[in-house]
Amino acid sequence: MPTTVCTAKASCKKLPGLLELTDTHLQWTQDGKKAPSIRVAYAEASSLFCSKEGAAQVRLKLSLVGDDAGHNFTFTSPVAVTEREKFKQELTSIISRNRRTSELLPRPHVPPVNATSSIPFSSAPSPATVNAKPPPGSTRPPISRATSVASDRRETPVITGGDPASEFRLRKKVLLSNPELGALHRDLVMSGQITEAEFWDGREHLILAQAASESQKKGKPGQLVDPRPEAVEGGEIRIRITPQLVHDIFDEYPIVAKAYSDNVPSKLSEEQFWKRYFQSKLFNAHRASIRSSAAQHVVKDDPIFDKYLEKDDDELEPRRQRDEHVEVFVDLAATMEDHEETGNEKDVTMRAGRQKAALPLIRKFNEHSERLLNSALGEIPPAKRRRLDPGEDVYSQIEIDDLHDPEASNGIILEMQGRERYFEGRMDSSPQAAKPKLDPSLVFQDARSNLESWGTRLTHLKIERKHGDAALGDMTQNVASRLDVRSKKNDIPDGLFRQMTTCQTAANEFLRQFWLAIYPPLGELQTAASATPAQRATKAAKMIGYISKTHEKVYALVKTAEQHGIDATRVENALKPVLHASDQAITFYHNKIPNK
Amino acid sequence: MKFFIDNLPIIFPYDRIYPEQYAYMCDLKRTLDATGHCVLEMPSGTGKTVSLLSLIVSYQQFFPTRRKLVYCSRTVPEIEKALTELKRLMNYRVSCAETDEQREKEKNFMGLGLTSRKNLCIHPDVAKEKKGKVVDARCRDLTSSSVCEKGRANPGSVDLCDWHENLGKMDPGTLIPPGIWTLADVLQYGRDKGVCPYFAVRRMMPFVDIIIYSFHYLLDPKVAEQVSKEMSKDAIVVFDEAHNIDNVCIESLSIDLTRPMMDAAGRSVTKLSEKVEEIKTSDVAKLQDEYAKLVEGLQESIIDQNDTDGFMGNPLLPDDLLNEAIPGNIRKAEHFIAFLKRFVEYIKTRMRVLHVVAETPLSFLQHLKDITYIERRPLRFCAERLQSLIRTLDLHRLDEYASLQKVASFATLVATYEKGFLLILEPFETDNATVPNPVFHFTCLDPSLAIKPVFERFSSVVITSGTISPLDINAFLPLVITRGSDQVAISSRFEVRNDPAVVRNFGSILIEYSKIVPDGIVAFFPSYLYMESIVAAWNDMGILNEVWKHKLIFVETPDANETSIALENYRRACDNGRGAVLLSVARGKVSEGIDFDHNYGRAVIMFGVPYQYTESRILKARLEYLRDAYRIRESEFLGFDAMRNAAQCVGRVLRGKTDWGLMIFADKRFARADKRAKLPRWINQYITETASNLSTDMAITLSKLFMRTISQNPNENQTGISLWTVEDIEKAQSKQRELALNTERQQEDDDYGDGGISDNALMDFDLDV
Repeated sequence: MPTTVCTAKASCKKLPGLLELTDTHLQWTQDGKKAPSIRVAYAEASSLFCSKEGAAQVRLKLSLVGDDAGHNFTFTSPVAVTEREKFKQELTSIISRNRRTSELLPRPHVPPVNATSSIPFSSAPSPATVNAKPPPGSTRPPISRATSVASDRRETPVITGGDPASEFRLRKKVLLSNPELGALHRDLVMSGQITEAEFWDGREHLILAQAASESQKKGKPGQLVDPRPEAVEGGEIRIRITPQLVHDIFDEYPIVAKAYSDNVPSKLSEEQFWKRYFQSKLFNAHRASIRSSAAQHVVKDDPIFDKYLEKDDDELEPRRQRDEHVEVFVDLAATMEDHEETGNEKDVTMRAGRQKAALPLIRKFNEHSERLLNSALGEIPPAKRRRLDPGEDVYSQIEIDDLHDPEASNGIILEMQGRERYFEGRMDSSPQAAKPKLDPSLVFQDARSNLESWGTRLTHLKIERKHGDAALGDMTQNVASRLDVRSKKNDIPDGLFRQMTTCQTAANEFLRQFWLAIYPPLGELQTAASATPAQRATKAAKMIGYISKTHEKVYALVKTAEQHGIDATRVENALKPVLHASDQAITFYHNKIPNK
Repeated sequence: MKFFIDNLPIIFPYDRIYPEQYAYMCDLKRTLDATGHCVLEMPSGTGKTVSLLSLIVSYQQFFPTRRKLVYCSRTVPEIEKALTELKRLMNYRVSCAETDEQREKEKNFMGLGLTSRKNLCIHPDVAKEKKGKVVDARCRDLTSSSVCEKGRANPGSVDLCDWHENLGKMDPGTLIPPGIWTLADVLQYGRDKGVCPYFAVRRMMPFVDIIIYSFHYLLDPKVAEQVSKEMSKDAIVVFDEAHNIDNVCIESLSIDLTRPMMDAAGRSVTKLSEKVEEIKTSDVAKLQDEYAKLVEGLQESIIDQNDTDGFMGNPLLPDDLLNEAIPGNIRKAEHFIAFLKRFVEYIKTRMRVLHVVAETPLSFLQHLKDITYIERRPLRFCAERLQSLIRTLDLHRLDEYASLQKVASFATLVATYEKGFLLILEPFETDNATVPNPVFHFTCLDPSLAIKPVFERFSSVVITSGTISPLDINAFLPLVITRGSDQVAISSRFEVRNDPAVVRNFGSILIEYSKIVPDGIVAFFPSYLYMESIVAAWNDMGILNEVWKHKLIFVETPDANETSIALENYRRACDNGRGAVLLSVARGKVSEGIDFDHNYGRAVIMFGVPYQYTESRILKARLEYLRDAYRIRESEFLGFDAMRNAAQCVGRVLRGKTDWGLMIFADKRFARADKRAKLPRWINQYITETASNLSTDMAITLSKLFMRTISQNPNENQTGISLWTVEDIEKAQSKQRELALNTERQQEDDDYGDGGISDNALMDFDLDV
């Protein structure tokens, strides 16, 4: 059972229950139920909202990564506020930790600028103020390096090939995003039992993955640039302006960029510019909504911005005609012009472009998608693109791949050394392998005599009941024991359980290190970490030292269990596999040493 | 691979063949042997075009008669695809040829595609024109025989088209070397050689083995008269992708007149009369000459005409053309102009009426006669007479006379056809519009009229299309979603389609699928009106913002070129990164002729049932006609029509049996028992009772499961089962022979020819013992 950091009575969706924060998850269990119905891993939490001080209900809302709806909890106990504060404190630090790990492109957060008020717009953003407590322990530099085995490794290896500082940052990120690994790291490396280098030995892929995901360039966000005003009390609206938003607006609407360069700062101050832009018809035309009527009352005539107004792009033909040639397989215009239009016009529902208000919107979508695509793939004229694309063979679009015989391809010729020898060898062995010639009549007779009196023999055939019964018994027992386990309450106290877990993971880590030293992975990426045989031997010896202590540790645990009045055999059983594995390693080690 | 059907050697340009393809080819061959017409269907995405071409080319190359193939498709992309397919096939045949002689024969096989001047013009100025009509007119001004005559006699006096002139210097019959030429190839050839691709193709048509063009070039009399007149009777005619052929048939005999058109026609009449006055002073002999010819009934027949002169075909079907002299009262140019003026004024007056009128052609003619004294007979010759006058006056920029030509066609049609046609005058666009925008519809109700001449003229007509039928590998998961996760039923039914709950539920289907489906998702709406309003609503609800997080969004627009660019970008997005969503319309531009196979369409969503707009008066008239003439119930036709269109939309995402994807039908009506019966068999077969009535969340769960299993099942080798090698074909053939032999033998056994009781009857006899 994981440790509980804090608990409180809280209802969710009007159902009473218990909210718990463990060291890995936030979970909520409905009253009367055993299993938690909501379980949120730390890494999933993205933001937190609380009801105001003194509100009738003490509420807390947690949004998840990729799910803004999240979960709502209402604290129900009399001391709701203090409980809520406790959760809030804990969750805030978790979330800020998440933020820091997830934010690959740290974008500065700018405090909202009230567009209608007189707070000046600042182009220099104040840096993000994420109030985050550094997670305990992780920021401390690993102290272990100086201890016991510092001599056998030159330095903590730099896996990604970058500088040690960034390497360190990567490792930290991996540990933060993976609490279980972080705990192990704390237990073993911080306590100096194994070195940092040893710890990462065999876990290089985690760091590489982290480095890869960090180096992946994040593209532009897909959404349309559509600053939605927030209503503020007093009938004012406000729009947050961030440098990113400004950049996006300029990118999406070059006309605004032009207006900006024409007018700022000669005619308008920066602040005035944005204030007036957001009230102008131009902004209204740029909004990705056809329900502009709602904003109508704030839209004012503006001599400066109205100059930049363009006619709505709502004609059947787009305002911006593009005469680039499209590929003939998708050329719809060619069909329209293939023959004179005939027949009656389409009914009203089938005439495209009758919803005039939707047309600018639809065009905006297509253009926006194209812009995103070009920003990711590079803007190349289509004709050139087609030429560059190697897969774009004329036939590739019509061919049916299934109908090609995959085996028809010319195989790779096997180049064999000493071919003659191989065949000679086979020739030598072939006479021996040849079976003695069989006389058909003899074989037939033999078979016949074998078949004689098969009937009587069949009656003698008896299938032993024993095996069947045994199998059935086994199965029943299996089911029974599983049922047993499930029905039993897990009453091992928290502290002990945690000790057991620690003992188990630590032993596993030692075992891993040990086997790694004995059998270094083949073909692994040869980093600076690859050790010499001598180093490996020392390491193995050291690890065996740790491993041989497992028995003592387990014994201690068993004793503690007895003190708590818990069936000691259960603890023993739980740790039996670890002991077994340790014994295996120890025997192996002792057998091996004399051999050398 | 090479194999035989009966004695016909077939070259099929792949190593394997689907059993469906083999069966299709066998059926096709029987049709050709029997010289009759047939309708052939084949499961979508199993390579219908290649099977068809492979068999017919084998047939053409094997028999000495060399029947020509006229292959019709619906859209230019499909024409180009068929040409590419043919080119690939011929390359394969050349590489397979066993002797030099054979190779030479394969190399001499010729196939071309024909489309409009607009699509084939390479004249730097003319090609820039946006409208096909303008390209046609300007081309004619540079190439008509009278202009050419002038220009050649006196170089520099008039502009000529160099590309067309160069063509004239070449030997007829060798304008394009043998081989298969796609439209792109022909354009490039024209540019390289400095010759006109359009006329090169037109003039090579008598020499080709295969010509590929659109339905209209054979079905629309106005075009067919000019382009397809010389096709020989033994040609094999194929209509591919013919599931909507009835619409093309109806379109080719229907016509609309609007107010702006009538105004333009009026102006053209005035311009014509000015021209006549002008020519009376300058070259009166011309008019007299025309009159004399008309008196004698010597109309220039199209055959005598140069192919550069033709501009407006007669709108009538070949059988309905009259071989009579033009009536006396419109022979004189000024009389005809007065006649036209009166007719135009009459139509304009009719258009001022503010209530809907539906009448038969006969009643229209009666009223016309009562008011204007215009008789039916001269009206019938209206189009023909106008052609003659335009030719006599040697007019330029014919596109300016387009409206008048349309009015003349209208006159001729209305005076010729009675049964199966209706006139509908609609003063307002919609029922609640207040500003009149009158349209006079002349509408054909009977699709069989236009196709009948084709059936009569050609000995083998094959109508073929893809059906969605269960493939033996179930790589497609059809699902019917009837309600959202909130259990609110979803439907595109008119009464509920704009209900926010329905709109939101449709939206959440899109969001959820954009989260889980890789690459491309295509969504179809029942109409443009609905798509445009729902896209706007989705945007306001923030639904599209959710979709943007996972995929790019592209939407079909009214402009074809704009949509093509969006399509190209959509494909790019599917080839790279997380893919995109394409919103488009069933029966719309995109749904016909664009394929979304493999990563271009991993899921296709039908939002609603694509019923036609039942309030449309033209549709109502057509339904009534179908009921009266063919005893087809309205609801039955509407249901069938909606389902064939839905099936076409989802069918665009299939190609090959290892392609996989999801097909989502989002409308509760798809699950209703009576509607279920109208669904293609494969839905009923594959949709279990539970999968036909899903909520969004259930469907998502099933879809995820399906995608997980499909990705774990890399194409097992299906050779011998759903993929045949030559040996498999032979096995199947010998099996069939055996079967045939057995039945024959059985028949022999059964029947001794003595009229006695057969063995079977004896065995079946229920003896009471």
